[in-house]
Amino acid sequence: MSKFLKLFAVMILGILLVVACNGDDDAETTGGGDQDGDADDGEEVSTESFGDGEIELVFWEFGNTGYDVLIEEYIADNPHISINLQNSDMDDNHDNLFTSISAGSGAPDIAMVEVGAIERFRAAGDSFHNLLDFGAGDVEGNFLDWVWRTAQSADQSTVLGLPTDIGPTVMFYRTDVIEEAGYDSSPEAVSELMSTWDDFAAFAQELHDKTGKQIADNFDLIYNAKRDQLTEQYFNTDGELVLEGNSGLKEAYDYTVDLLEAGLIGDYGLWSGEWFAGMGDGSYATMLAPAWMQGVIKDNEPEEGVWSITTMPEGAGNWGGSFLTIPSETEHAEEAYAFIEWLTAPEQQLKAFLGYGLFPSAPAVYDMPEFIEYEDDYFGGIPTAVIFSEAAEAVVPVYKGRYFQPVDDEIKEAFEDVAAGTDPEEAWEGAFDRIQRIVDR
Amino acid sequence: MEPVVKGDTKTPTVKGGRWTEKKKTALASYTFISPFFILFTIFGLFPMVFSFYLSFFRWDGLTPMEYVGWRNFEFIFSDPLFFSSIKNTFLIGIMGTLPQIFIGILLAFALNSALVRFRNTFRTLIFLPYITSIVAVAIIFGVVFNNQDFGFGNYILSLFNIDSVRWNTEYWPVKIAISTMVFWRWVGYNTIIFLAGMQSIPRELYEAAKIDGASVSQQIRLITVPMLKPFILFVVFTATIGSFQLFTEPLIFLGRGLREEGITMVAYLWRDAFVLNSFGTASAAAIVLFLIIIFITALNLLITNRIGRTKKLS
Repeated sequence: MSKFLKLFAVMILGILLVVACNGDDDAETTGGGDQDGDADDGEEVSTESFGDGEIELVFWEFGNTGYDVLIEEYIADNPHISINLQNSDMDDNHDNLFTSISAGSGAPDIAMVEVGAIERFRAAGDSFHNLLDFGAGDVEGNFLDWVWRTAQSADQSTVLGLPTDIGPTVMFYRTDVIEEAGYDSSPEAVSELMSTWDDFAAFAQELHDKTGKQIADNFDLIYNAKRDQLTEQYFNTDGELVLEGNSGLKEAYDYTVDLLEAGLIGDYGLWSGEWFAGMGDGSYATMLAPAWMQGVIKDNEPEEGVWSITTMPEGAGNWGGSFLTIPSETEHAEEAYAFIEWLTAPEQQLKAFLGYGLFPSAPAVYDMPEFIEYEDDYFGGIPTAVIFSEAAEAVVPVYKGRYFQPVDDEIKEAFEDVAAGTDPEEAWEGAFDRIQRIVDR
Repeated sequence: MEPVVKGDTKTPTVKGGRWTEKKKTALASYTFISPFFILFTIFGLFPMVFSFYLSFFRWDGLTPMEYVGWRNFEFIFSDPLFFSSIKNTFLIGIMGTLPQIFIGILLAFALNSALVRFRNTFRTLIFLPYITSIVAVAIIFGVVFNNQDFGFGNYILSLFNIDSVRWNTEYWPVKIAISTMVFWRWVGYNTIIFLAGMQSIPRELYEAAKIDGASVSQQIRLITVPMLKPFILFVVFTATIGSFQLFTEPLIFLGRGLREEGITMVAYLWRDAFVLNSFGTASAAAIVLFLIIIFITALNLLITNRIGRTKKLS
């Protein structure tokens, strides 16, 4: 049995080695470009080393964090540390971490884990250090309560990671479409116009009658927004499926289905070509999306001042954000913890926000003058950071559970069924059956 | 060269005959062939054996394994999605490969005939889909099979006054879309194989047929197809195996959710293992797939043997 596991570990290590070697080559020759043309599955890792201290920390990250600049700052103050920063695609990052944890070898000293994957890794128990052992309890006050709760286990006895950024959701809207319907398009007025979900639905009907346009891009984001305002979603804190008795979720489903069947929301699948195009041609009025969607909107509607931002009806939600974890394989846990505590401190989070738009999880940043004064001409020169920070503080803590993503996918499948003509109740029951089987596996 | 040989012959005498010449040769030979066996053991044999072992455990890859006996098999056999995946694999396999054989033969016949100019250009062009990046294929077919009214597929349907369909949701449209992608990617490859086969058919047969006044369709039916029999069998076999392994097309077309209308067997077990982290049921599904493939291969062999025998008799 243990022999089997050892063999398995060796095999996985072999694969990792091959992958890692490939990554090094890429980084040396192109810095992550795919000029050799074999980008078939995007298994690319770009590696950068900082400092020449004797204690080397391997740090796996994904996305565009801009941490290299901060790391150089840290190395200058802590010459005994050197950091090997390896950036890969988010899914690859998680898959590689999963494989190395599973094999018991090859994990980094610090690993970035996205909020959607955090429960999956929490199941690995002892494979990660409990950050409370290093005094993480002292920095608890630095972070928003709901973010901290996500990093904690259900019984609050362990902390898996320190939060980096978050994705508080707001309502992006097109000023021209709102004006076309005959309303004032300032953020305050729009927030007032759609302050409740009933108002939102009523305005959707009015907009459709007056202009023929739709209120939102698709069912996904409306349902997500309603879902994220619930304090309990698919699972309770014991990890039991509570979908059946959760009237809030059913209400969110029914609300979205009603809009869908009335033709008031669009049929632009998330991340599809027509969805991107829709941002630029004004075929829908609002988009309920997180802070990081700003960049996507800017890419697809070059004209300034068309899109603006306000709060969404009845609160906010969170979509995205990451945590820095320390796998227990590391030999330098103390040093790794010191580094991540520094990296997630409010001062550094402010720098990451100003440099790369990583929205801070530390509310202390929200009071800093550079943050408050941050305005965005693209969104009509309004203080966007403040609107997002209001949303961040309105997020309710929720326990998502291990199978959140597959369960959520099945609900989205039910919406697709409805769009294709299935009876909504039947689609809901069908999704429920599939979800039950996913949990039973 | 010489010193090396000298050194080699010297060693056994130095070592006092512990290694006989025969043993040494054997050792050298085994060392030379060992890279394959080592790699095969690590990447081929071990995962296969481990998969059998895993199918009796409940394991999410992180927490300790839990022995559950036949539960994983009971689970997948009570899962309607599993049966859908078997059905889909067969349906898409047939819908994707049967037309390939007919169209492939016709295309090969056209490329082989003296009437077509720029033959090499056409041969290259027809083979291109096979080497096209699957990601590019996904993007192109995402546009063709778009749910919107302006999607290419729906536009064509609208010319015939047919309502738009949701290509990624409805029962038959999903299968049509996936089998079209399979067809498009493989028809060129099979055409080239048929073309090679046709070039081995003696010209005299066609000349004689023409003299006797046979039409083109008669030539295809009575000369080309019978002479191509071994090539057709080869294509049928490879296509059968290929369609059991169908995975990339449904995944890129349907996304990680893999809807019931289009999920194939390999996609089903992949989803179990890498989306739901249920390695036990995934391994159980893999073993059922293994048994199905054994059965179909046996059937294939039986049919081939029978065809081979009739050939000998005639």
